[in-house]
Amino acid sequence: MNHVLSAGRPGRTPVSRRSFLAGLGATGAGAMLAACGGPGATATPSSSASTGGTGSGTVGGVTNFYHWRSEDRAALDSLAAGFAARYPGASVTQTIDPSEQYQSTAAQKARDGSIGDALTAFRGTQFNQFTEQDILADLSGSVAVGNYVANLITPGAQDGTQYGFPYQLIFNMPLLNTDLAEKAGVSEVPKDWDAYLGMLDALKGSGVDPIAWPGNDPANAFQIINTLAMNNGPTPEMFIGIQDGTYKATDDWWITSLTQFQQLSAYFQQNFAGASNDGVLALYSQGRAAILPTGTYQLAQVRAAGGSFPIDLAPLITTAAGTTPAFEGVFNATFILAVNAAAKNPAGARAWVEFLSEPANAAAYANATSQHVTVKDVTYENPDLQALAPWVEKKTLLAPRFQFTDADIRSAVENSLVAVVTGSSPEQAAEAAQAIIDEKRGG
Amino acid sequence: MSTTDTTATDVRFAEVATRARRNPRRRSSRRNDPRLLLFVLPAAVLYLWLVLWPTVQAVQYSLTDWDGLSVAYRNLGLANYDRLLGGDTVFGQAFGNSLKFMLAVVIGQTTLSLVLAMALQRNTRTNIALRALYFFPTVLSSVSVAFVWSFVYDPTFGLANSLLSAVGLDSWQQPWLGDQSRAIYYLAIVQIWFHAGQMMVVYIAGLQTIPADLYEAADLDGVTRWQRFRHITWPLVAPATAIVVAYTTIQSFKAFDLIFASTGGGPNHATEILSTLIYNSAFRNFEFGYAAAQSVIFVVLIALVTVLQQRAVALSARRA
Amino acid sequence: MAVAAPTLRGATRGALLAVYALIILVPMTVVLFTTFKTSAQMYASPFGLPTSPTFASFAELLDGGRLGTSLLNSVIVTGCSVVLTLLVSTLAAFGIARIHGWLGIAIFGLFAAGLAVPAQVAMIPQYVIVKQIGLDNSLLGLILINIAVTCPVAIFILTGFLKTLPTELFEAAEIDGAGPLRMYRSVALPLAAPSVAAVAIFLFVMHWNDLLYPLLFITDPAKATLPKALLDFKGEYTTNYPVLFAGVLVASAPMVLAYVFLQRYFVAGITAGATKG
Repeated sequence: MNHVLSAGRPGRTPVSRRSFLAGLGATGAGAMLAACGGPGATATPSSSASTGGTGSGTVGGVTNFYHWRSEDRAALDSLAAGFAARYPGASVTQTIDPSEQYQSTAAQKARDGSIGDALTAFRGTQFNQFTEQDILADLSGSVAVGNYVANLITPGAQDGTQYGFPYQLIFNMPLLNTDLAEKAGVSEVPKDWDAYLGMLDALKGSGVDPIAWPGNDPANAFQIINTLAMNNGPTPEMFIGIQDGTYKATDDWWITSLTQFQQLSAYFQQNFAGASNDGVLALYSQGRAAILPTGTYQLAQVRAAGGSFPIDLAPLITTAAGTTPAFEGVFNATFILAVNAAAKNPAGARAWVEFLSEPANAAAYANATSQHVTVKDVTYENPDLQALAPWVEKKTLLAPRFQFTDADIRSAVENSLVAVVTGSSPEQAAEAAQAIIDEKRGG
Repeated sequence: MSTTDTTATDVRFAEVATRARRNPRRRSSRRNDPRLLLFVLPAAVLYLWLVLWPTVQAVQYSLTDWDGLSVAYRNLGLANYDRLLGGDTVFGQAFGNSLKFMLAVVIGQTTLSLVLAMALQRNTRTNIALRALYFFPTVLSSVSVAFVWSFVYDPTFGLANSLLSAVGLDSWQQPWLGDQSRAIYYLAIVQIWFHAGQMMVVYIAGLQTIPADLYEAADLDGVTRWQRFRHITWPLVAPATAIVVAYTTIQSFKAFDLIFASTGGGPNHATEILSTLIYNSAFRNFEFGYAAAQSVIFVVLIALVTVLQQRAVALSARRA
Repeated sequence: MAVAAPTLRGATRGALLAVYALIILVPMTVVLFTTFKTSAQMYASPFGLPTSPTFASFAELLDGGRLGTSLLNSVIVTGCSVVLTLLVSTLAAFGIARIHGWLGIAIFGLFAAGLAVPAQVAMIPQYVIVKQIGLDNSLLGLILINIAVTCPVAIFILTGFLKTLPTELFEAAEIDGAGPLRMYRSVALPLAAPSVAAVAIFLFVMHWNDLLYPLLFITDPAKATLPKALLDFKGEYTTNYPVLFAGVLVASAPMVLAYVFLQRYFVAGITAGATKG
């Protein structure tokens, strides 16, 4: 508790004055509020998350699991039941914040351990923030480490220490309706840029929108940057380079990317700039558009919206015919499972993370949520997961979009994509982006 | 509209209206009763402790590079302000968008809510039902409003383009929220739809404090409706207008949820307003000090605009 | 002309009211229809009639019984917040309206400043304060913060209206030997009834729909308010719109009822005004 009180309060602020005000407020309001003592209206903090955890390593008591996936609640509840069956006296509760909220305040809320004995982190900015604030316990020695595909859990490690296990494996690549492709005479996913444009021409000729781009939903619209950049960038760390000044948005490779994106936009649906995510989802699910350029995280939504066609991944291969692209696609590993360094129930939290890391349980999670997982030896029953499982073995790059840790610089680069499809030339767009990047780096 | 006798009638009604307004303005010259301070105390204590004090802390942060979390931070003096005012293109853009959005919403919402309130002022059964209907959008959450309108504005499936197509105006179809020069105004329409009913309620309360005998006297003199409005309704509803305009201004500057849920500030910052920008600085980049500096400027802007507007409202009422 | 004008005016008025009614009704009907569809049906035909209406959304909403708890929490938090905010705000507004000179203006300005503060900025310091006194995860903490955050709006509106009351009324009461408390009770409150009702409706809406503070302070699902509980149907990528909308409709019902009920005070206000004249 004291940690929170003293933490993060710049300026010299006399505590006595604040306590005085607090006291005054409490007395003043106390009388009025006495009338409002309904259920839960007491000042005693909840004890649900803080019991148990005898500290000596015995697994028992309540473990609170803090995350942002409310669509996974039921799946995790049934896994928690299995956990309770294995460790009598132990149980797991979930605290779920919406992903926006989780990104903005999870560190503040979890760092004194009052919630989130076990917790999750987004790859990139949030994971870095958690480790900088010493919120995550060291899991390097955990038996769970060996359960994962080694190169998929690097986003959960820092300076040789494994702080967490990215649990979900996502392919941030365009989803192709292969029924529509076959009808248009395209039998395999193109392996070079001309072939890609050829496929789009064929799709357009067959009377469907080749690509349904959610221009008005930044989080989804710019997933396309991942495969656009993967083979164009001078190194796999192209966006780190833009952020630290090694590269510029005005470099040839980004101008080329912008030019290619401009070519691509000729195949987008009408009035794409204003399209919402739900709108393009409907277009794609109804078979009116052939490609949804976002990622596998939307598979479940496509199925729920009634799309029942076979799906393959169609990454943008931007290289010329005859050259072998360095990468066949991209993946992202996120939803990093970790143990809170300030956990009230550290033994329970560690046991819960290790429990989730077992292949059988990871499989249960994957099949119930339609997500691939980073755990080895998992058998997928969900047909979509089965169909796309070969991608786990392919030569894929960790999604470069998440290399940005500065949101302003990321928006500047992403907005240059919007600019070239709404009238700017690639050069103009690149210069405008670089101007903002320079401002930000100078500041 | 008839123009005969306008001047004479105007003068007489200006007199009546002034008489009705004069009394509340008169001041007692006696000393204040110290017991009155006790009335302010409960609200003041809660407000100072849970709103003003945290805000003062935020102002302190604006002079630092605090990330919102760490124990350590550096004092930067005015460097954050320097960066903001010196060279932050996006901040300038958001500042301009906030003003555009505010102006569109304040003018649209004030006019609409006053017109609706006047139309529904009498307590007939139909009017009471219509008031409840017009008020209804207010009770929805911002997220549902954003969703409803995303189905109106969606270029492919949306109600707006479907209607245009149904009446043969296909060429008028728009990308709506994707149009970088107009998206902010399309969002202003949503904001007005969302909150006009609420402001109508304030106007109805204001209209109902106008004594009926003023209108009766006016009717005996056979004035036009415009004269009635100009010389009785508008000046006497001025306190309500002041409230509506001030509240609408503040609400429009802060329309965070709606914009965040519908466009996230895009495309290309076309709908970025100061409150969404502040959120991004604080919780995307964890530059809390910088976000605090942005909000200090934001608060100054709101205060300035509000004062100017109050002057304008008071002036237009007095001229009547 | 003299005969035609009123009917023409009546027709214009009628047309205006009808068009605006449609602008509200059409999107709301879409929402209503959506609650009777499955997700797939919604995406297939967002504006169509529910061809095979299903009540699955409402069933799913009620499943698990958490809706009842959060409904009760919302009623407690909103009820207490509205009543207490009105209490402290009418007191303060009365005080401010009666304090003359620079002091009254200064106090008013202090509260008005609170209107301009962006919630996101005060949020982190507020979190630290509330946690420090152990009021996180409690409805009491929510109620306190609600009062503090919304009293500036209430005071702003109420002071505006109270200042329009003729001072003679208060002076007469003073001559009769009434202290400030009696003046507040027997003069200010009854005369301000329409504006108090307007503010009450405002506060109702704000407290009932507030999501920011429950998200910030409440982690225990048993203490969640309705807007927070509804977020269960909004995932990172998948949003169950039919269920979410069913929840929104259920959640807005009490508000509409509250408005219909509070409208009576407007009626009372106009009657008082008429008899006075």
